[in-house]
Order: sequence, then C-alpha cells, then structure tokens
Amino acid sequence: MSTVARPRTRRLTIIAQDPSVRVDGRILTTEVEVPAEEIAPGPRGYRVKVIDYDTSSGVLYQPAAYPPLQNGAYLDPFKEDAALQDNSGLLEDPRFHQQNVYAIVMKTLARFEFALGRRVSWGFRGHQIHVAPHAFADANAFYSKRDQALVFGYFRGLSNELVFSCLSHDVVAHETTHAILDGLRNRFTDPSSPEQAGFHEGFADVVALLSVFSLPAIVSTLLPQGTRKTKLPPFLIDPDDLEVKALRESVLLGLADQMGAEMLGVRGDRADALRRSVTLATLTKRQVQTLPEFQEPHRRGELLVAAMLNAFLQVWRARIEAMKRGRPDAPLDRDLVVEQGADAADRLLTMAIRALDYTPPTDLQFSDYLSALLTADKEVVPDDNKYHYRDIMRRSFANYGIEPASINSSDGTWEPCNADLTYERSHFESMLREPDEVFRFIWENRGELQLHEQAYTKVISVRPCLRTGPDGFVLHETVAEYIQMITLQAQELQYFDPPVGKPSAMSPDQEVTIYGGGALIFDEFGRLKYHVFNRLSNATRQTPRLKYLWRCGYFDTAAASDGGFSQLHLDRALNKRSHIRETF
Amino acid sequence: MEPRKLVIRAYQVGFGDCFLLSFGYSKSEKRGQRERHVLVDFGSTGMPEGIKPSEQMLKVANDIAERCDGKLDIVVATHRHKDHISGFTTNDDETASGNIIARLKPHMVIQPWTEDPALKDPKLPPLKRRGAQGMQASAPAQFFSSLHAMNLLAESAQREVQHLTSAKFRQPLAADVAEQIDFLANDNTLPNRSAVANLAGMGENHYVHFGYPLKLSQLLPGVKVHVLGPPTLEQHAEIQRQRSRDANEFWMLRAAAQRFWGIQSATAAQEQEQEQSQTILFPGADVYQDFFPSHDRWFIRQLRTLRAEQLLGLVRVLDDEMNNTSVILLFEVGGKKLLFPGDAQIENWEYALGQPEVAKLLSDVSLYKVGHHGSRNATPKTLWNMFSHKNPEMKARNRLRTVISTMKGKHGHRQSQTEVPRTTLVKELSNLSDYITTETAAKNAELYVETELRFS
Repeated sequence: MSTVARPRTRRLTIIAQDPSVRVDGRILTTEVEVPAEEIAPGPRGYRVKVIDYDTSSGVLYQPAAYPPLQNGAYLDPFKEDAALQDNSGLLEDPRFHQQNVYAIVMKTLARFEFALGRRVSWGFRGHQIHVAPHAFADANAFYSKRDQALVFGYFRGLSNELVFSCLSHDVVAHETTHAILDGLRNRFTDPSSPEQAGFHEGFADVVALLSVFSLPAIVSTLLPQGTRKTKLPPFLIDPDDLEVKALRESVLLGLADQMGAEMLGVRGDRADALRRSVTLATLTKRQVQTLPEFQEPHRRGELLVAAMLNAFLQVWRARIEAMKRGRPDAPLDRDLVVEQGADAADRLLTMAIRALDYTPPTDLQFSDYLSALLTADKEVVPDDNKYHYRDIMRRSFANYGIEPASINSSDGTWEPCNADLTYERSHFESMLREPDEVFRFIWENRGELQLHEQAYTKVISVRPCLRTGPDGFVLHETVAEYIQMITLQAQELQYFDPPVGKPSAMSPDQEVTIYGGGALIFDEFGRLKYHVFNRLSNATRQTPRLKYLWRCGYFDTAAASDGGFSQLHLDRALNKRSHIRETF
Repeated sequence: MEPRKLVIRAYQVGFGDCFLLSFGYSKSEKRGQRERHVLVDFGSTGMPEGIKPSEQMLKVANDIAERCDGKLDIVVATHRHKDHISGFTTNDDETASGNIIARLKPHMVIQPWTEDPALKDPKLPPLKRRGAQGMQASAPAQFFSSLHAMNLLAESAQREVQHLTSAKFRQPLAADVAEQIDFLANDNTLPNRSAVANLAGMGENHYVHFGYPLKLSQLLPGVKVHVLGPPTLEQHAEIQRQRSRDANEFWMLRAAAQRFWGIQSATAAQEQEQEQSQTILFPGADVYQDFFPSHDRWFIRQLRTLRAEQLLGLVRVLDDEMNNTSVILLFEVGGKKLLFPGDAQIENWEYALGQPEVAKLLSDVSLYKVGHHGSRNATPKTLWNMFSHKNPEMKARNRLRTVISTMKGKHGHRQSQTEVPRTTLVKELSNLSDYITTETAAKNAELYVETELRFS
C-alpha cells in the first residue's frame, strides 16, 4: 500500500506571455499549477496528446521523458533551464515547447473545469486533444475539430527572428478556448448572426487575456516603476499610476506593445486587435447595429473584449480604492496592488466562463451572454456589495451598446422559471445524468416550456455541477441543454404564429433549417430554476437571422463555410470580405 | 477617320488568354493605315493533349505577325500571371514567340500600375515609418513588394507539396488537392524575367489605373478606350472609407496585409534554407526520420491533409490578389462597346462599379471577354446584371456577344464548385448571349475562333 499521498497538482514551467516579454534581458517564465498525472512521453496525458510533427519539413521531433513521482513530488524537467541567467536555451529545445503547450492547454482546461464545477469535454468525440506545436511554417494557429487538434505554426517575424506561436500564452489559451467552447456549445459555430460569429473569437480573446493578466509575474512587469517626483523604493507604487486611465495605458496597452514586438502576423495582428478593443470609444446599441464595420464578426467580437477588459480595470480600481483606507495620496505596496490585479482578472475569468452554462444553446446574442453572466454570478455570490462586480459589468457592457437580454428583472438576470411543471413522472436521481430522462421531462412539459412540438428535439447534455464561490459557498446544480430544429421550405415559414419572414428574393421552395433550444438549470432538489431558451418559432429572432444569412450568401453555395477556423484566421489577417453573392 | 469594322481573333492557347483586335478603316486609306491591331495578352499554362505548347505558341505568334502585316499598334498585358504573359518570353537565338511579337514593334504597351518598375525604387523603405501617413506615402511600393512576396510564397508552396506527397508515406495525399496547389502555385511563381523585360522594352510604356487618360487619337483613330481598373490604392481607400468610421483604416489594413505577405515569404525563404542545408528547425534535437511511432501515425496523416488544404487556401488568395491587378479596358467604337477585363474579380471591379457614369457606360456593352477563363468569381453578378443586351432570343438584334478563352479539366473541381469554366456561368452565357469559345477551335484543330463587328 502506498504511504505517500499522491499530489493533486503539479507545477510546470511555461513562458509567461511570449519570448519577447523580458525582464533584465531574461525571458519571463513562470510556473503554473496543472492537474497532476503520470505524463507519458509527448507529453501525452489524460486530456492532451502532444505530437510534434512538422509538415513543412516532414520531421517528427522526439519527446522528453517525464520522471515518475519521487518523494511525493513530480519534477519539472525545465525548472533549472528556466532559472539560468541566460535562459534563451529554452527557445532552442523543442521539448520545452512541447511542455509549454501541454501546460497551457491543461491549465486552461482546468480553469474551465474549476469555474463550471465539473468535467468539461472537447468539441469532438475523444478524450485527448492532439496538439502540434510546430505544425507548419506559417503565421497561423487554430483549432481543427475534424482533426481533433490544436495546431501551431512557426514563422520568420519582422525582426527576422523565428517566432513560435506555441510559445505565446495568449495564442495557446485562445485556441484551447475554441476547442472547449465548441464542446460546451457546439451550435455556436453555426451561421446565425454577426454576434454569434463574433462570439467565438471575442470570448476566446477574453479568456486568453484574462488568463495572462491573472499571472502576477505579468502584471508586475507591466505596472510602471513610478512616475512620482520623489523617488519611491521599488516595493511601493504611486497611486497616481493606478488611475483607470493610467492602468489602461500601462497594463493593457503595455501588453499590446509587448506582443507587438514579435507576434505580428498570427491571426491578423493580435496586438492591433487588442489595442483596438482597449481604445474603442463607447457606442450606443443603435450604432452597434447599424454601423457597417460592426456587421463584420471580428469587429463585433471586439466589443465583448472591450467590455470585459474595461470591467477588469474598474474592478481592479475598486480593489485599489479599498486598499487606501482613507489615505488617498499615500504610496501603496506594489506586490499587493499586483496581487489585487491578478486576483481581479482571475475572478472575472471565472465569471466569464460560468456564464456559458446559462446561455441559450443556439443563436446567441451578446445581450444573452450578459444576462447569463449576471445570473450565474448571482447564484454563486448572492451578495455583491463588496466590489459591485455585477454593476461594473453592466455599466461596462452598456458602454458598448450591450444591454441585458432579460428585461423583466431589475438587475438584468434571467427570470427564474415559474412555469407550472410536472415532476411526478420523472426520476430525480436519473434526471441528474440521463439525457433520456431529461428528454422525457421536457417532452411531458413541452407546452409549459414552449417547445415546438413538430421539431426534431434532442437533449445534448446533462451535467451535474458543484460550484464554489469565493467565500467557499458551494452550489449544486444540474445543467442540461436541448436543441430543436426543423427543416422547411421557405414558403412554409408563414405558417408559424406569428409568421417568420422569408427574405423577399428567396425562392419559395428554398430549404431552410431553423433552430431553437434551451439550457435547463436544475437546483439540488431537481426542480427547474432557470430555463434559458430561444423559442424555435420566435419570429423576431428567426426573421432577421434568415435575412442576415441570405445577405451573406449562405444559401447560395454549400462551399460558403468550409474552411473552419483556419480560413477564418486567414481572412482576418487579410481583411477579406465575403463576396459570395457576386459569384456563379 | 472612323473604323468600319473590328475583327477579334481569340487564339487557341489552351488554358490562357490571347486576343487580337484588328480595327478596319476605309480601303481608301494607304497601306499600313487600313488596319490597326491591338494584342490583349499572350500566355498559356496548359494545352490540350497532343499539342506541344512551345510549337502552338510559335504558331500563334507567327499568325499574329501575318495578320497584322508586321506591325502591332498596342500590346496589353493585363496582369503578371503566366497564362497571360508567358508568350512574351524570348530566347537568345531570338526565335521564341516573344521575339516574334517584339519584332512587330508595338507602339504602346499597356500594363497595370502595379507593374511599374519605378515602384521597385521606393523613396521610403517599407515599414520604417509608422502611422498612417508613412504607410500612405510608401504604400504603392509596399504593394509591389507584397506581389513579389506572393510569387516567392507560390514557389515555396510548390516545394512543400513535394513533402506532403513524399513517397515515404503509404497513404497518398488526395490527388486533386495536390494538383490544385501545384497548378495555382505554378501560375503564381515569379513571372519569367525575359517576358517582363520584353514587355518593358517593346514600346512606349503605360502603367494604368482607373481613369488613366490614354491618348489614342493617332494610334486608334475613332476609338475611345476607358481604363476601368485596377483602382489605385487611394481609390481602394475611398471604398473603405464609405464603410468605416476610421479614415485611416484602409492604410492600416494595407500595411497589415503587407506585413502578412512579408512574413509569409520570409518564412518560405527560411524553409528553403532548411531544405538546402538539410538542417532542421532545432539543430541539436533528436528526430524520427522515416519511422514514426504507431500512436502518432493517424494524427500525422490528418496533419498532412490539413496542411495541404491550408496551402491551397493560401495559393487561392494570392491567385485572387494577382487577378485583381488586371487592367480592365472598355473600347468604345462606332456606337459599340467592348469589354476586356483580364481576370479581374469584384475587389478590382468594386471601385468602377460604384461610379454612376461607369454603370451607364457598361449598360450597353456589345461584347464581353469573359473574365478569368470563366471562373466563378471573375464575372461579378453586379456587372453581369448591368448588361442590357442579354437576350434569350438567338436571332435578336444587337444581342450581346461573349468571348471566352478556356480549357475544361485544367483548373478546379465541380464538386467544390470551383471548376473552370464554371458550369452555371457557361449556361447563363450561352442562354443569353452569342457565346464564342476557343474550345471550338481546339475541337476542330484550328488556331483561333473569330468574330466580327461592323460599324455603320
């Protein structure tokens, strides 16, 4: 019998942001905590399988061996190399690159599992995602569902240095988020609206950036060393440097500048995208809906990034205010300020992820996401009086024209389900894990739940969750989602009540598929707390959706959307607009 | 002096373009003045089976020389793709098709502004200055270097396909994908230097853009030629300004695109170095050479396919970019209008189509040279819808004529709706216009097809 306790986590060295972020000439590295396991060479683990094959040169790099548990701890093979005075050797060892991607993918996945309080699956059948850290010589990196993979390219940057996208924390976290989000809400990649299209990119950026800002090493590097006339010792910081405007300049734009040094090229210009989001002027709802530039999905996605990052600064600022304790001008402890910033980012990251369970599974709008975010947070943290996170979020989203979708509650949260439902014929235990049982429940209550009776209906998932609040408060929930779809001829759309409008130029016998669906949140007693849904027969959503898809040429050709994320990134890099309506 | 008639010869160059426009004037004019000749493109990237490309190109060149009685007036090279300019290639013995054309001493050579050699010598080194102003000043030069970068990238794509299809793999790459990459990459590699030099040295050079004033009253009396494309970068910027709040956005995007192509070509160069010196990305690293562990094989196969598709996407984009540098010419003569758009796609057309006076000009086009051998995206629907002489009646007066130079089975696939010529387009063209194709010449083993317009 084993006498040594097996650790639950292990620490692995990664590059904190990317190799261009340096302190005293050394690459800034950090250790991250990931779930512990006996790693097979690759690294190959229970969720991630790194295969370092380079298609451009036809070479497969050999992996490092990871020693088994020794004296109750797992060793990090690169800890010593990272600590060297000159640690640039890390760049020349592909095995370190392999570890870097493994650790960031695992950490991102663990971050989702922590926030959601349960296991999270990838967006494909299979437990392990393949990761190719040097997949090709190209300034691109993306998630490929078909290949069950994250692929990262390398390229020669503008400074003529080799740039490895697998060494950029935010790029790896961004692509990992695509793979996870696809597992949580696989209908979000469907063609629907500029907002749904922009959500994948915007959300992946939010997760990636908040992940980077939740590393104290990064925040500390970006904070200024002091602008005060009287010189401060390095452990103190001037409160003038901590105004929102100053933080935006130093921390957010500072990161953009650092990224700008090396990573130009991947997914367009990431630094530019960050800079654009951070400096975006406030917008009204009407502007967002009518200005042509925001009908482009990437640009629309930047609204989400802008709202979240500005909320991050506001939250951080609120925490700094609390540190002052009535002495507004006194210098503050630098490490504490850093810790507050990293903590704020981490807390917002949890909020951002938790919201997903409360979003409708089809045809997402940012306003839905905001209501989901407010509701999910309120469930775990009912009392928001300390820093007013939810008020800050609402204000920040409102600045970019995003109002909560839920209009009947004063705080923008979803209304609790008050339908008169039948539970008698459902088995409580079985409802926690059996899609068939949940289906029986919703079918039995289809009238009350406003399901469309003729549509194909499927329960996609049933997931029991255990969520922990910042104060240790534990919440049990079961989350299920179902979708509905129906394929009709365009002329049949008029028989919905109220009728769904057909784009006028569309042929009456054109086949169209429309979707609906809902997220069901059950409490610990198996009662339905929330039903967040889009009715299939909702004309106010379906009519504009069809119009939008018609305008984009979605119905003209099946080849319209075949390139996946790879093509999306290429189009973004080159600002390609779709002209599908002009082609034969 | 007004032309009485115009004869258009569409030469059978397989997959390529070569059109000779011969304007006929009054017989009472003295010899050498009775006809004027304009050659629009001369290139090929593939011939039907049984036809030797070099021989066919020589035959075409000799026929041009004979037809125009030893003197060409104007040569138009719409853009730098091989299937439009390979025929201008020369050799040391001066026996190549390009030498024959050069001896016809064209008075004028028309090419897009993107080919202007002056752009090679930018006053500002690219990327040194920041901010929109700096970008704007050096933008044409940057654009020029982007085109060069694309050519280099195409070469590297051709090399990389070899890797992906290496004999060491038991499972071959899907043949159609590999072929497509190779075909597109080949057409987009650096243009033959001798063809470029030949074009630049044959006559008076005009590097044109939308609205460029061509003075042709001496060369082509009674003929008005409008240049409808390509737009300059400023004209492109105007389109963008209508879409965005940010006046500088176009220049930022342009600079970003230039960086993108710069990075791509630098990366391609790096790949080539690797290949030549046999070193790998990480010199000291241990690698598996020809044997891969069993648990990695499925994924390696997936990855090869993925890379091939990605390369195909890239070469498609750069092919489009090159096509969009095409010169678009509209000849107005004797009350008729003839449109020669090279391989221009909507991004090139966009500016012209947005000008109300151009829309008016285009509405009564009599003859349309079908863009890009009939590909799906080089006859923008907006343009096609403007032509008012389309008519389902075969005998209708003034029915639109369409002329196409193409060859089936060379480019694209029906399954992916990329076949050239595109079936749906050909159907539309043959239903609504007199459809004249070089495929007829190929079928009858003739050198060209001809069509004649008479002016009252």
